[in-house]
Amino acid sequence: MKLLPTVCPACNSQLKAKSLTCAHCNTEIQGEYELPVLTRLLPEDQSFILEFIKSSGSLKEMARLLRLSYPTVRNRLDEIIERLKKTESPKENNGKENL
Amino acid sequence: MNEIVNNIQTVPRRSTSQWLFNPFSFVAGYQALLLGLGIMLISAFFGFLGNTHFDGVLDVHKGLEAPLRFFFTEGIIDWLTIAIPLFFFGLVVSNSSVRMIDVFGTQALARWPYIVISIVMLPEANQRVGVYLVAKFGFAAAPAAINYMDIFIFGFAIIVGIFMAVWMVALMYKAYVVSCNIKGARAIVTFIVSLIGAEVLSKMLILLLFERL
Repeated sequence: MKLLPTVCPACNSQLKAKSLTCAHCNTEIQGEYELPVLTRLLPEDQSFILEFIKSSGSLKEMARLLRLSYPTVRNRLDEIIERLKKTESPKENNGKENL
Repeated sequence: MNEIVNNIQTVPRRSTSQWLFNPFSFVAGYQALLLGLGIMLISAFFGFLGNTHFDGVLDVHKGLEAPLRFFFTEGIIDWLTIAIPLFFFGLVVSNSSVRMIDVFGTQALARWPYIVISIVMLPEANQRVGVYLVAKFGFAAAPAAINYMDIFIFGFAIIVGIFMAVWMVALMYKAYVVSCNIKGARAIVTFIVSLIGAEVLSKMLILLLFERL
């Protein structure tokens, strides 16, 4: 399966969905839709979040599943949270960087 | 389970280098603490056999005969004097939620290279060369008799000892970074401050301990 591109290859801006199609009856909907924040994360981060939710949000369970130590899994989650925050408010972060 | 690990591609793999340089990716908490206490007990036992004292967080010296409990207490003092300030800095500096058991457990596990040191320091030759050098530099009355084999064993122990001490410091730093999730300059500065403080404090506490001998 192809990866969903989320960033413009020309100017690096966030891409938006302009068209959605039903694979069953070929109905096509045109518009301008924001991509969900989670889709803007790296695929491995998305997999981590999915597994985390399936583990009922238990870091201990995630550590057991991945055969990693608890702090390693917690650190990974903290990194993803940081990336999510930056993804959610890129303008705010740009402003901070400019300061 | 392998499918999950494969999907989450950036998880560290269980390679030999990971085990040697960053075992804390896989072992922390109570598991690391138990292993670490075992390591301290083994180091103390070999230290007891060869009169090798770990009389400071980073110190190794040949010295007085003492009961086994003294050697083990030295290890405990060395471990706690570094783990306590690192935990404190973790609470203050880190943005993550730091668990006490991870900091103390990984710091205990990080002391495994000292088992190797306590073993290479076992031969009597190390003691003889030590006494000889002390005499040579005018701190004792008569130099002890040594031979080339003694010098070779002593040289080997020194090289291995320095290598293992550097390795232990690297492991202690890695344990701190993983257990407290602190990176960059903040991690380096707080670690160095903790290490210097722990070295001074552990020396003082071990000195007090030996006043009881």
